Amino acid sequence: MIRIGDVLVSRGEGGVYNERMLAGARVWDPFRSKLAALYYVGTGVELEPGMRVLYLGAANGTTVSHVADYTEVVYAVEFAPRPMQDLLEVARRRQNIVPIMADASRPEQYAPLVEEVELLYQDVAQPQQAAILVRNCAFLLPGGMAILMLKTRSVDIRRSPEEVFCDTISELDAAGLTVVETVWLAPYHKDHAAIVCRRQSRGT
Amino acid sequence: MQSYWFGDISNGACQPAEGDTASRLQRLQTLRATMDGFVPLNWEDAISCGICSERAGYLAALRELCFAMSEQQIRREYAGRDTELLQMVRTLDEMDEAINLLSERVAEWHQVRHPTFSRKYRRTPAHVQVNRIAKTGKGALGRAAVQVEQLAAARTDLAKEVSSRANRVLPNTSALIGGLVAARLMSHAGGLLPLSRLPASAIQVLGARTALFAHLRTQSPSPKHGIIFQHRRVHNAPKDRRGKVARTLAAKLAIAARLDYFRGEEVPAFLSEAQVRIDRLAGGGGP
Repeated sequence: MIRIGDVLVSRGEGGVYNERMLAGARVWDPFRSKLAALYYVGTGVELEPGMRVLYLGAANGTTVSHVADYTEVVYAVEFAPRPMQDLLEVARRRQNIVPIMADASRPEQYAPLVEEVELLYQDVAQPQQAAILVRNCAFLLPGGMAILMLKTRSVDIRRSPEEVFCDTISELDAAGLTVVETVWLAPYHKDHAAIVCRRQSRGT
Repeated sequence: MQSYWFGDISNGACQPAEGDTASRLQRLQTLRATMDGFVPLNWEDAISCGICSERAGYLAALRELCFAMSEQQIRREYAGRDTELLQMVRTLDEMDEAINLLSERVAEWHQVRHPTFSRKYRRTPAHVQVNRIAKTGKGALGRAAVQVEQLAAARTDLAKEVSSRANRVLPNTSALIGGLVAARLMSHAGGLLPLSRLPASAIQVLGARTALFAHLRTQSPSPKHGIIFQHRRVHNAPKDRRGKVARTLAAKLAIAARLDYFRGEEVPAFLSEAQVRIDRLAGGGGP
């Protein structure tokens, strides 16, 4: 990842959401983007120029635009029409974003459009977050990485974030994913955990 | 056989999807993929299909298709009868708030300019006073008051429009509690479909969220009514019967919302029966 001093940045056309610029690069704010927060509090997955990414829960395309600065292509899936309008505008100006309006919990809706990817990133406000991630692993190359931004409050508002977190980990384990890194996104985002896992390579 | 956006692949041979983006989009919508036995697409198959000759061309063609599809889907989502009404009600409610705040402030300002003036014993409604200030007020105060009046006029127009549109979009619900309140119910539920899916008990306390959660958390009594309190038959009912009226009205509203969503037209047989039932409760008697 590119850092100028301590500041995480990405190189690309600015002005997507009035982000600050630093020496010609776009500052990637950890308070606005959970992925940026992960790079501040943990290790995450190194984004590389040749990477193909499936991004579930693209919302208004702010984080998507940064990911697209680093990688070859981003398949951005979003369900709600209002943020989709913004996402389309971002995608119009970035040739390597493929915007898809579909429900991330129903991958068959976009299966004919998405190729195999090296990185699966998910940030959706749904109760069944682990199940959605597992279902979308069909698009993940063996040995590929998945990042789940777990919104514990969306899973169950009545249970404690820690409980929800433990359940999710065991659900991912049971599905055959290897959890590589887990980290809470405090102080940037409350009750959000980042879970980085790897899909088993073929033959192991 | 695996079907992708650019064509069908079976035994390594490709049957390309012919035509331009529009026809590809049409074909894509007929595809019914399942995830069992699904093989993710390999973009190089698109070359053998003759869709493109290199990676950049592949992405360009795919993006064109995805843009067309997303734009069509957004248009379809917004085409619903209720989406614009939703924005109209919310604008109306926020206008109300702004008008109230501004009239109060303008009146306070006026009072500072006129040390001998007091509103006590006058019973002047806020809009009458704003009107007076708009006519006599000097400088910025007068201009501000004029603006508040104009905003209030726009609000009145909007309210009429909301009401008449609600009569069209929510004919049965509107017939029971009036267009404005019906539209507010829908706005709180988030749309006509979500409203039609709510149980009567939820419709009854829609808009009383604070009281409802206070009730669930602590021992405080449950709220009897939310937005539907705005309807005369609820707030005019004697205090000890309000809960009953609200409950019955909500039950009929739940049915009305479903009729609105699934039939989209007035159902006189249901309405007359519901009116009688609610009137009997509100008017005294009751079963």
